[in-house]
Amino acid sequence: MKQDLNQSQKEQLSALADGQLAAGDIGAALAFADSDEGRQTWQLYQLVGDVLRSPELAHHAQHDVLSGVRAQLAREPRPQLQPMALQAITAAQGVDRAANGSVFRWKVAAGVASVAAVAALGWSSMLGSGSAPAGIELVQNGAPQQSVPTEIVAMQSGPGAPVMLRDPRLDELLAAHRQYSSVAALQMPANFLRNAGFSDTSVRH
Amino acid sequence: MKPSVTPPSASDSDLQLVERTNAGDQRAFELLVIKYQRRIERLIARMVRDTDQVQDIAQETFIRAYRALHQFRGEAQFYTWLYRIAVNTAKKALLDMKRNPVVTDSALRNQSDEDETSAPGQELTTDETPETVLAAQEIAQAVNAAMQALPEELRQAVTLREIEGLSYEEIAAAMECPIGTVRSRIFRAREAISARVKPLLENQTGKRW
Repeated sequence: MKQDLNQSQKEQLSALADGQLAAGDIGAALAFADSDEGRQTWQLYQLVGDVLRSPELAHHAQHDVLSGVRAQLAREPRPQLQPMALQAITAAQGVDRAANGSVFRWKVAAGVASVAAVAALGWSSMLGSGSAPAGIELVQNGAPQQSVPTEIVAMQSGPGAPVMLRDPRLDELLAAHRQYSSVAALQMPANFLRNAGFSDTSVRH
Repeated sequence: MKPSVTPPSASDSDLQLVERTNAGDQRAFELLVIKYQRRIERLIARMVRDTDQVQDIAQETFIRAYRALHQFRGEAQFYTWLYRIAVNTAKKALLDMKRNPVVTDSALRNQSDEDETSAPGQELTTDETPETVLAAQEIAQAVNAAMQALPEELRQAVTLREIEGLSYEEIAAAMECPIGTVRSRIFRAREAISARVKPLLENQTGKRW
């Protein structure tokens, strides 16, 4: 049983050496690599790979550099283990990388764009939620609203024609601001635009 | 195909370890130290005369790399980045000692990181003695003998991975087998070769492997 576990852990290290270990298994592989056996296994795999590629590297490490590095790093301010960051790495490694994934400035741009999008959505939802700013609230309190009776007029241009409901107040508003009446989806005056329709071209108004 | 010193997809492994280190897991950085220590020592040993300095400069190289690791973007191979740090650290150490850098012919010929470790130069570096050269030859012979003794499918899998630098997917396609089988074959090949090398290392280092 223990032998199987040991073999499985070594196989994970082997896959990690090839960059082919699933992101979710890296933590377990690193835990094994932190043991003497795991460290020696990693060292042997690297040595074997190097020797296969270049006999020049067929020598074991001459010095115990790792202990020195460890001792020095123990005195270094080190980043705290960040579960969120690890999750992000895991998630990023679990999916295919984008072609520009390794370019940091794209990540920065994506981050800025995300923040801007969230801010814009938050701002618009805040405006739309009806919670008016304090100043407007004061004005509204000072001038009590009068309920204006809404008069909806049903207009029918002829027998059989569809009935159109018209609000006189809306008509007045449009008449007073006729210059903006052709505001299109562009959200700007566009008087140069004409509506297109399928009416007979011989009929001119 | 011409074998390369660094397999093309080795950067995937390095990048995983770098990201893990940047997330606060120092164990990942230690694997990078173990992986590149021998190459860095060899590089530094070509630049300095003082044997005692090799270990200190190698250590300083890795410390500097650790401090600057958040600046590594993965746009270059990790070893290329580390190589530059090692060279700069060695030069600085030499300046500090008020000595002129001693760069051997082979080091001058091989400024590229890819070629650095495959230099044909036969001269001894600072750290090399006839004993260490003999030990290296024994290791190389053991690896080659182990390779020859491997079953064909294991030898082919590990060759495609380590020498040709193919990914597991590519090897699976080439060998017409599942990726899990490729992973298992490469692991078994490494274990078989390691079993031959272990006793040599125990003899050479005097400690149990």
